[in-house]
Amino acid sequence: MSTVAAKNTVSPLERYKMAFESRWQGNDELTALRHAALEQFLSAGFPTQRDEAWKYTNLRRLESRSFTPAETSALDAHQPEWLATAGTRIVLVNGHCLPALSSQVAQPPGVTVLTFKQWIEHEPAAVAAYLKEQDQLTGNALEQLNLAFFEDGVVVNLADNTILDEPVYIVHQSTSSAAQRMSHPRIVVRAGRNARATIIEHYLGANDAEYFTNAVTRFDIAAGGAVKHFRVQQESPRAFHIGHVQTKLAKDARFSIHDIALGASLGRSGITALLEGTGAHAALFGLFAPMGNQHLDAHTRLDHIAAHTTSEEDYRGIAGGRARGVFNGKVIVRPDAQKIDARQSSRNLLLSPTAEIDTKPELEIYANDVKCSHGATTGQLDATALFYLRSRGLSESDARAALIRAFAESILATIDLEPVHAALEKQIDERFKLVNEAKA
Amino acid sequence: MLSIKNLHALAGEKQVLNGLDLEVGAGEVHAIMGPNGSGKSTLAQVLAGREGYTVTGGTVTYKGKNLLELSPEDRAREGVFLAFQYPVEIPGVNNVYLLKAGLNAIRKHRGESEMDAFEFLTLIREKMKLMQMDESFLNRGVNEGFSGGEKKRNEILQMSVLEPSLALLDETDSGLDIDALRVVAAGVNSLRSPERAIVLVTHYQRLLDYIEPDHVHVLSGGRIIKSGDKSLALELEKRGYDWVKQEAAA
Ligand SMILES: Nc1ncnc2c1ncn2[C@@H]1O[C@H](COP(=O)(O)OP(=O)(O)O)[C@@H](O)[C@H]1O
Ligand SMILES: [Mg+2]
Repeated sequence: MSTVAAKNTVSPLERYKMAFESRWQGNDELTALRHAALEQFLSAGFPTQRDEAWKYTNLRRLESRSFTPAETSALDAHQPEWLATAGTRIVLVNGHCLPALSSQVAQPPGVTVLTFKQWIEHEPAAVAAYLKEQDQLTGNALEQLNLAFFEDGVVVNLADNTILDEPVYIVHQSTSSAAQRMSHPRIVVRAGRNARATIIEHYLGANDAEYFTNAVTRFDIAAGGAVKHFRVQQESPRAFHIGHVQTKLAKDARFSIHDIALGASLGRSGITALLEGTGAHAALFGLFAPMGNQHLDAHTRLDHIAAHTTSEEDYRGIAGGRARGVFNGKVIVRPDAQKIDARQSSRNLLLSPTAEIDTKPELEIYANDVKCSHGATTGQLDATALFYLRSRGLSESDARAALIRAFAESILATIDLEPVHAALEKQIDERFKLVNEAKA
Repeated sequence: MLSIKNLHALAGEKQVLNGLDLEVGAGEVHAIMGPNGSGKSTLAQVLAGREGYTVTGGTVTYKGKNLLELSPEDRAREGVFLAFQYPVEIPGVNNVYLLKAGLNAIRKHRGESEMDAFEFLTLIREKMKLMQMDESFLNRGVNEGFSGGEKKRNEILQMSVLEPSLALLDETDSGLDIDALRVVAAGVNSLRSPERAIVLVTHYQRLLDYIEPDHVHVLSGGRIIKSGDKSLALELEKRGYDWVKQEAAA
């Protein structure tokens, strides 16, 4: 009896296999790549907590769901606010670009911005060649899952010496019809020598929808190039969000990211920077704020491959309710990479006795002439400051919100793009007012 | 305005106030003096509603209400203001935000409308001038990196903006040079009015040269052991506290 029952139960991985087979047939090169990626995913399976990189994040709940590929849809009537940025806006709804909602401004010469679907249509061989090469960079099962299933995304190419003054704003909107669906968007940004660009990715979701976003974003920055990236994760409070950001930096290239995580039931951002050329610099700023039962994980890896490379990292976590936050910051200095300067700081604030933040700095240093520093602290709101503010007439919730904002401010203050900065300040204020009022 | 009867209180686990009585009427200025550790700051914290200070007996009535039942913010909104002995530094929270949020919360409580930005700025500018503070202080974090004297001035600035009915000043004079003392005293004196009461906690007679008290009390061992007029402060300055203690013990 029990054997029959067991046979009828489709295992989680098999469901992905079935979804894949009903979606991707044919024998072109890209499908072959997808197939290989799927096989890798299936043989590795979802990471478990025995895997050191997933020690604090349990994916069993995600694994137990049977998500199928999401289709595009109309926007919901109650639509979360997008950022009011100038420049190009590309909107993906449930993982598919919707030109009607996008606004492409004329790009300067040497800059192309296209959707991944367009790229596949026009240059399938180039796409396959690119993905094949990139594919070797990662052994991560969930990135393989993205490669197997990705359908659309954005490709930004900047020729040498081109400067994009206005940001490219990529909206990843999941609507209520994304419920029980998954999307695997892929973003590729290739910046030529001395090229400059700012890329914003904004993940938003309809309240109450349970869905799965598994995104891959790749930056390839040639010598002297500079890319600023803002990544704002405000998925639905029931969503699963896994984001992979990987950056390769050539000589004197610069990269900065603001990794902001507010949404999702379970969210993880994995940020990797490979400092391959001397003089390269990577700056990682992060703010994650899980509340209620949210679980938000920030996983960073700075790989100093070349000598004379520098990195700075400043992450702040704020956890309330029964929420869980994770910060894992790995810094690797390769054997011949001398004269490295790497600074890392992780500061965390717990708003309730049942909230938890695990922070784990990891240094792997194989060279001797390096300057690496790291510091991690976890504390609570300062009771004396709280009393001081209340003694001036502020309600307890206003006083708490002011102190929480002050804590977040050191990260927000580094955001030099005003629409992003203003929107996040507002988000943080509203979020903590709400939490405080719920508490009172 | 304020009536304290037989107040007993713990600071942390420590019994500090042991049956303190004090009556403060509208329009009056009272000075509370006493040796270190006698419970002056504990009294101030208890009146402001600080957590960790537990009243174990007695009553505090303020404008006819049981003060001890009110939250710290409601005490502030009802017009109680404490100038802290050790003002707190709060990096990341603007001075101007605090002033505005505090003032508007108090106004709302009184049923008044919020002040608009222009009115508010005009008011702040005037008060800052009175306290001889540079406007650059407004956009700094609350007390962040302020010198000792600047912190005390900032307390009085807040007080003069919030216009309390009952102002408690906990050693606002200590650590001030003579010029700063004059400025602080001018700030306090500008608030004196028949509707307001001021309680000054101080070690030194010096402050009382500038802010003349109607009553002077000696706090020792958690109780008021002697009360008098201005001349008592002068006598304490000359003779110290021991004679008062002996007199009280006798
Ligand atoms: N939070 C506290 N916990 C424990 N003991 C305290 C606390 N605050 C004050 N005390 C103690 O209570 C006594 C009275 O302190 P305080 O009221 O600050 O005195 P004063 O202001 O008159 O110098 C002192 O012995 C002091 O060490
Ligand atoms: Mg004291």
